[in-house]
Amino acid sequence: MLALEISRIFFAAKYRPVIRFGFAVAGLFAHSVYMVWQRKLELGSDGIWLNSWFGWCLTTAWIIGAAYLWISIRKPMSMMGLFLLPVLLTLIWTGQFLGNEDPFLDSRAKSIWGMIHGISLSLGTAVIALGFVFGIVYLVHAKRLKNKKLASNYFRLPSLEWLQRSCESSIIISTLFFASGFLSGIALNVANQAIQSSELKGTISWADPVVWSSGVLFLWLLAISVFSAFYQPARQGRKVAYLVVTSFIFFAIELMIVFLANHAVHAVPAAMLFEYSSVPATLEMMR
Amino acid sequence: MNLLVVGCSHHQASVSMREQLAFSHSQIGPFLDLFYDRYPDSEAVLLSTCNRTEFYAAASKPELIPSRSEMVELLANQSGLLQSELDAGIFSFTDRGAVKHLFSVAASLDSMVIGETQILAQVKRAYQLAVEKNEAMPVSHQAFQAAIRVARRVSNETSIHANRVSVPSVAICSLAKQIFERLNNKKILVIGAGEMAEESLTYILSEGGRDIVIANRTFESSQDLAKRCNGRVARWEDLEEELTQADLIVSTTGSTEPVVTGEIFQRIETKRNQNPMFILDLAVPRDFDENIGDYPNVYLYSLDDVQKQCLRNQKTRESQFPEALRIIEQETELFFADQRRRSSGTAIAMLKQKATETKEAELTRLMNRLEGVSTEHRLEIEKSFHRLVNKILHPPLESLQDDTAKGSKHGLLDAIKKLFQLGE
Repeated sequence: MLALEISRIFFAAKYRPVIRFGFAVAGLFAHSVYMVWQRKLELGSDGIWLNSWFGWCLTTAWIIGAAYLWISIRKPMSMMGLFLLPVLLTLIWTGQFLGNEDPFLDSRAKSIWGMIHGISLSLGTAVIALGFVFGIVYLVHAKRLKNKKLASNYFRLPSLEWLQRSCESSIIISTLFFASGFLSGIALNVANQAIQSSELKGTISWADPVVWSSGVLFLWLLAISVFSAFYQPARQGRKVAYLVVTSFIFFAIELMIVFLANHAVHAVPAAMLFEYSSVPATLEMMR
Repeated sequence: MNLLVVGCSHHQASVSMREQLAFSHSQIGPFLDLFYDRYPDSEAVLLSTCNRTEFYAAASKPELIPSRSEMVELLANQSGLLQSELDAGIFSFTDRGAVKHLFSVAASLDSMVIGETQILAQVKRAYQLAVEKNEAMPVSHQAFQAAIRVARRVSNETSIHANRVSVPSVAICSLAKQIFERLNNKKILVIGAGEMAEESLTYILSEGGRDIVIANRTFESSQDLAKRCNGRVARWEDLEEELTQADLIVSTTGSTEPVVTGEIFQRIETKRNQNPMFILDLAVPRDFDENIGDYPNVYLYSLDDVQKQCLRNQKTRESQFPEALRIIEQETELFFADQRRRSSGTAIAMLKQKATETKEAELTRLMNRLEGVSTEHRLEIEKSFHRLVNKILHPPLESLQDDTAKGSKHGLLDAIKKLFQLGE
């Protein structure tokens, strides 16, 4: 698919749109089948996709794949695939790299808060990743137009207006999902503390890097959403693109912190479990 | 195919000659009437656009078609030009050349702006007008129907029409659409009310622009333009206010000084909330200070910038020319192969019919002379006659079909017609 997208820069081909669309549908179908297969054969019929890094990345990649298909239909001439597919492939590679040997704690993953937490964060990740792509494309396109680069016959991008609107929507929607993920993480932790009669019952371990970094990411997203709502220039043009790209970078750092904090998962006493309950970190908590 | 075309186009005729030879819509009918008065057994189509006047004449037999000089004379009488003057600046093609030329014209390969789309509609209209005068035009019908089909094929199989080439169309339909998703919710300000403004408005309207404001130093001249595009007129004194609210600005004044200086734009910039703004400065000299393009979210394009894109699009179209030409060649070949097939098909049918008639007559005569022939024997005799006729006809018919497929110039067909006295 990526090779097909790259070939669009260089030459036109009559049947390529049909082949591209066919490959996209086939790819998404194969991805879906693999997810079902993995659930049934590797995890057992009661396993869930979101209970491991691999499954979580795979689910997020599926959402981006579906978004790619949707954009291919809505904007068939634009070359969004050139920017979206590397993100999708990176997610799959990341999932493979992190592996699924240590699935998150099953009982937690299956609790209602665990499910809400995992799904919200997966959707939030997909939306912020899409926003990142829209932001990058906006900056590329705006630079080309500002420098009066001649429009290529083959390299076509969506209008700046569409990209700007998509960036704006990405920020708002991802904030909502991350808010849902963050709050459900807290609820999950409180529920677990109650079960385990922890000494730290009802407290939040703010000193934990995962907890505070998740809090900072959430506050950042909330702040830029509110700021954009009340200050119009913040949601105009390149500013909104910079905001969404920065948000994604923050999110990537947060993911790294979660992964590094992962090492302590099994050693941590039950009382400290909240530390895994913050944004994506809560995924770890499911271990 | 008996087809002749005489005419002039931008390739070889001067503007003044083209103007004199041009026919208005209302003049074409009477001209065709005049033609049919003189040549009632012929067919005629007159194509007249701003870049060409082409007069096609066709007939089922070569002797029925008027000569080149007769057609030039008709045109000379109509235009008031001397026949000798016309002769020098006019082209003519016959048969294959005429068909190929018609295909090229309809596919816009002969146009001043290669790939322009208007010409096909003009060819269709010319043909329609001709049909209104004379419904029975078998030769012209075949040629023009094929030309329309070929033009569509060229359009589908090449990207010769893909990129726009005029300044306003590239500016609005290509550049503005890279910034704005749609124009129907944008505030559009047109500064100036000249020809370029008018042409730009055509494309703005075609792209769905609705909220249009015309600002011009002369209030009256902009009123008419505003009325035509359902827009409103702004007073020149309110220009700054209008600039503040506009998303798309098209400036086309004839002013010798910049209309919007850096200082003016600095004042409006603070009120704009950094909304994206696309400024098309199509005026020479420029209406907008070039530094305005440095403001965030402001995209300022001058006439030169747009023209660069036009030139590139033009080159892209030209790069499609060889492929389009290949299609024209191929279609011309197919057209004549089809003509030959039709022509030989008629001869074959006539030959078979003649042979069958002869066979039937001979059979009847033989049966009358033979008495007591059983039904079984009668059938055998009939089969034998049938086989005999087929065996005799098979070699010449096969040779004729081969000859037709190879595209020989009717030599064998004419020979068979003469040998078997098939007539025309």
